[in-house]
Amino acid sequence: MELYEYNLHDLLEKLNSKEISSKEIFESCKKRIDSCEDKIHAFITRTEDFAKSQLEENENPAGIFAGVPTVIKDNLCTKGIKTTAASKILGEWKPPYDATAWKYLREAGAVLMGKANMDEFAMGNTCGNSAFGATHNPNDISRVPGGSSGGSAAAVSAGYVPFSLGSDTGGSIRQPASYCGVYGLKPTYGMVSRYGLISYGSSLDQIGPFARTVEDLQLVMSVIAKYDPMDSSCFREKTHDFTHSENVSIKGKKIALVKEFQDFTLDAPIAEAMNKIKKILEDEGAVITEVSLPVVSRYAVACYYALAMSEAHTNLERYDGVRYGYTVNDASSLKEMFERVRSYGFGSEVKSRIIAGTCLTEPSRCEEYYVAATKVRTLIAQEFSRAFGEADFILQPVTPSMPPKIGEVDDDEMKGYEADLYTLPVNLAGLPGLSFFTGYSENLPVGLQLIGPRWSDADLLNAGVIIERHTGSPKIPDLN
Amino acid sequence: MKLTSEEVNSIALESRLVLSEQELAGAVRYINNFLDMLDRFKELDLKDVEPFSFAEALECPLRDDTVVKFNNAGAILNESEHVDGPYFKVPRIMEE
Repeated sequence: MELYEYNLHDLLEKLNSKEISSKEIFESCKKRIDSCEDKIHAFITRTEDFAKSQLEENENPAGIFAGVPTVIKDNLCTKGIKTTAASKILGEWKPPYDATAWKYLREAGAVLMGKANMDEFAMGNTCGNSAFGATHNPNDISRVPGGSSGGSAAAVSAGYVPFSLGSDTGGSIRQPASYCGVYGLKPTYGMVSRYGLISYGSSLDQIGPFARTVEDLQLVMSVIAKYDPMDSSCFREKTHDFTHSENVSIKGKKIALVKEFQDFTLDAPIAEAMNKIKKILEDEGAVITEVSLPVVSRYAVACYYALAMSEAHTNLERYDGVRYGYTVNDASSLKEMFERVRSYGFGSEVKSRIIAGTCLTEPSRCEEYYVAATKVRTLIAQEFSRAFGEADFILQPVTPSMPPKIGEVDDDEMKGYEADLYTLPVNLAGLPGLSFFTGYSENLPVGLQLIGPRWSDADLLNAGVIIERHTGSPKIPDLN
Repeated sequence: MKLTSEEVNSIALESRLVLSEQELAGAVRYINNFLDMLDRFKELDLKDVEPFSFAEALECPLRDDTVVKFNNAGAILNESEHVDGPYFKVPRIMEE
C-alpha cells in the first residue's frame, strides 16, 4: 500500500509512532498528483514548493496534523499565494493574510499542496464553470465531479491528500462529496469561521471538510470548529466535542424521511441506496419515521436563489479594479474602469446572477421578491424546527441523479437549480448536513445525506461512523 | 410581467456590466425564467411573517472592545496597481 492511500487517522498513527516521516508522505502524495493531475485537473494552483518549505522549516511540529498534506478550495485566502475564486477578475491576486480556517490547519501543522478548482465564485454545481477549465471525476473522468467545491472533493477522492476544505452555500460540499465518493460535512452556520472566505451569499456560506472516512472529518472539525472574533456569525458560547469513539449508538433515535420527497423521481442507484441505509439504521435500533416539509419542498429553491443572488450582487460589487485583482490602466473615467474590469473579469453565470440580484433588490421589486424571500426563509426554518421536534435526523438524497457526463449538463438553468432541492434548504435554515458514501453502482459512488438540528454536527458524525461500519469506506480509484 | 431587453440592459449597466448582444439575449431569458420561478411566492400569505434571522443572532456578541494595532496597511496598498503614497488612485469621477 502506497502512503498516499492512507486515511488521515492512519497516517497520524504512523507519523506519531515514527514508522514514517512527513517527507515520505509528501513525496508519495506529490508523485500521485504528478501522475494523475493531467486527467483530473483538481488544482488551479499547485503549491508543493510552499508545502516543502513548510516541512523544511518544520513550521508547527507540535500540531496534531504536523506534516500532513492538504488542499483547500481557491476561495480561501492564503497569504502570499494566488487566490482566484476561479475568476479572471481576481487575476494574480495574492492575499495579505490567511483565512482563519486555513490558519487553524496551518497552526495544527498541515502543509498546503494546492488551491483547488471550483465554479467561479462558488456559483455552480459541476466545477465546469471555472475560468481555469473543468475538473474531472476521479471515478470516471468523463463525468463531472460536482461543484462548486469539485476540486477539493476530487483531490481527496483521487488520493492526492487525505483531507481538504471546501465551502457550501447551497450544497457545494455535499454534492461533490457524493459524486466523488468521499465524506463531506457542511457544518452548522456559525460553527466554522468564514474570515478570509471570498464571499458569495454571506447568510448561507459555510466552510467544511472532505475526507475518506468519517473519523477523519471528526479530526478536521476538532481543529477548525473554533470561535473567531473576526467572523461575527461565529458563535462563541458553544463548545464542541468531535472526539472519535467506536462506542456510539443510534438505538432509539428517530430518523425521518420527508413525506413530500417520496413522490420525486430518483435514479435507481440512489433509490436503492435509500432502502439500503434505512435497513442499516433500523438494524442499529433507530426508528424510521416521517416528517412533512411542504414549504421546503415547494418554495425552498426559489427562496434560496432569490437570497443567494441578492447577496451575491452586493458582495461582488467590491470587484472594481481599484484595490486588487484584474484592472485596466487607461480608463478615462471611474465608470469606464468599473465597466471594463467587470465586463471582462466575470464569467457569464456570475454576470447573470449579479444582474438577477440587482433586479430583485431594486426599490420597485424589493418587497415583492427579496423581502418575500426572507419571509419564506422564516417559514422554512420554522418547518425544520418543528420537524426536529419529532425526529433526531432527516435522511434524504444529496441529488436526484448520478453525476452527468461533462458537457451533458442541461442548458435550462432553472431545471439545474431545481436539482439542488435536497441540499439548499439546509443552508437556508443554517443546519449541518453530512454527505456520506453508501457504496458503488457500476464503479460510480452513491452518496446520501443526513441532516440534523443546529449544533448537532458531532451527533451527525457519530451516526456517520455507525453507517460507515456497514458500508465500508470508499476506495481510491486506479487512475493509471 | 416579462422584462424587455432594454430593461435588462439597464439593470446590467447599474451593475456596471456591459453585455454583448449574445450575453444580453441570454440574460433576458435567464431573468424572465427566474422571475417566473419566484412568482410561486404569491401563493403564500406572508403578511404577518417576520423576515428571517438566526435565533442566536441576538446572543451573538460583537468582538471584545479592545484596541488592536493594525500594521498591515502597506501590504494592502501593495495589492493595487493604482497607488499614490498612502492612497488608492482612481480615474476622474466627475464626468465632463
